[in-house]
Amino acid sequence: MSLLQVESLDIRHGQFRAIKGLSVSVTQGEVVALIGANGSGKTTLLRCIAGAARATAGTVHFKGEDITALPAQARVARGLSLVPEGRRLFPDMSVTENLMLGATCDRPGDWSVERVLATFPNLVKRRHALAGALSGGEQQATAIGRALMANPDLLILDEVSLGLSPLVVDQVYASLAAVLTSGTTIILVEQDLARAMRVASRAICLLEGSIALDRPMAQAPREAITAAYFGLGTGVRA
Amino acid sequence: MMFQITNAVLLGGHYALIAVGLSFMFQVMKVINLAHGSLAVLAAYGIWLLADRAGLSPFVGVLLVIPPMAVLGWGLQRGLLERAGRGGELLPILTTFGLAIVLDNLMFQQFGADTRSLSPFIGDFAWASWELPGSIFVGKVPVLILLTAILTIGALQMLLARTALGRQIRATAQDPVTAGLVGVDARRISAISSALAMVTVALSGLALGLRGTFDAYAGAPQLLFAFEATVIGGARSLWGTLAGAMVLALAQTFGAMVHPQGFLLGGHLAFLAVLFVRLAAAGGVWHLLKRARA
Repeated sequence: MSLLQVESLDIRHGQFRAIKGLSVSVTQGEVVALIGANGSGKTTLLRCIAGAARATAGTVHFKGEDITALPAQARVARGLSLVPEGRRLFPDMSVTENLMLGATCDRPGDWSVERVLATFPNLVKRRHALAGALSGGEQQATAIGRALMANPDLLILDEVSLGLSPLVVDQVYASLAAVLTSGTTIILVEQDLARAMRVASRAICLLEGSIALDRPMAQAPREAITAAYFGLGTGVRA
Repeated sequence: MMFQITNAVLLGGHYALIAVGLSFMFQVMKVINLAHGSLAVLAAYGIWLLADRAGLSPFVGVLLVIPPMAVLGWGLQRGLLERAGRGGELLPILTTFGLAIVLDNLMFQQFGADTRSLSPFIGDFAWASWELPGSIFVGKVPVLILLTAILTIGALQMLLARTALGRQIRATAQDPVTAGLVGVDARRISAISSALAMVTVALSGLALGLRGTFDAYAGAPQLLFAFEATVIGGARSLWGTLAGAMVLALAQTFGAMVHPQGFLLGGHLAFLAVLFVRLAAAGGVWHLLKRARA
């Protein structure tokens, strides 16, 4: 049974049609890599699924329930959490306070401030520092931890590596490994194709607001993904 | 001299109690509530009615007025400010301006032009005083108001710093969209904040009635002093609002010492001085002058 079902989704920014009649469904336990160039609609699509952007037409179902009209906090309460692009921490609050805010909905589960700190050991020393004073890697770890505090069934990670040095990206993914293999369903946006192919079980390529490729990672060779990324015809719609 | 300074500090306590609700609403919802003073007068009339008709002590009356004021605050946010907020930044301010006019005139219609005071209902306490060293006498009522202001600000700061609700209020104030993404219901939090602000307004209504007299149009000067104290204190912390209220009261007192008509002028000058220093620090004065010349 599909955990997330998006049907004929249209999102417009004024005259611009950012998402064009997109349909996709994600099954429990999948790790989906969403791949696409800047402006292909990845962030718009994910923000709409999380409730931070409005759909112009179409529906989003989560666990069989129509959530299209629900506000973001109601979706968090149902187990759908987004780590937004650019982290969007609360800069005047400490790391611990940011993490505790993530538990606002009080969903049952075993994520706690202690477990987040154990998962992201680079935060232990910084737990009382203000989020605005953190390095990029520490901010990303805090943002992911904050989303995990809601014990989500579907975790959406938008641009995990944005603005981070390769070394720090390695650290973040090393910490994420436990989450990635824990059975939590994950949709992630990753610009580093090699890394996306390593961690994800399924690849979805977005091109100008439509899906250009959607395959299990094992059947999606690098060339096919690259072709879909640039819209080069070959490998598109297999 | 010591006598004037002592009285200025006590007056500052009164301003702080009025200003804290205005400052709190501005910090959380970015709304300058121009009906703030009128709502304080409304609360004062509520306490006066309970004292005059039911013979309740104003200190008991205020406890009965707090719950309806909190409900009013909730309704104000949900029914007016939230809707107005969808129409842009300016609309909530205009809405509260309109609300102030409506409230003032409704109260005038209901209660007429007579000035009222709550001090007749508290007996000797109204003029009781303590003697400080150096034979300075301080009224018990102004001291009580100052302590109430400090306790109110302390309680709100504790709430903001230590509790889950406080974290949610701060998150909503900083970034309502992201607050929603982590599961905070920003609409609910704004309504709760508005209700909390109205609780402080009920307390300042009591202070207004105990300190002197009020009538239906007494809201505007209360709003002005609250606004000046808030701006002088800055929007960072409620303790800043307390400091701003003290600066305002001291400036007014010194103004009155220089010239009998200088009371209000002294306050306004302090307000403008702080405003210009802030603008200069932000590099805004030059910008302002250039625009004025253009």
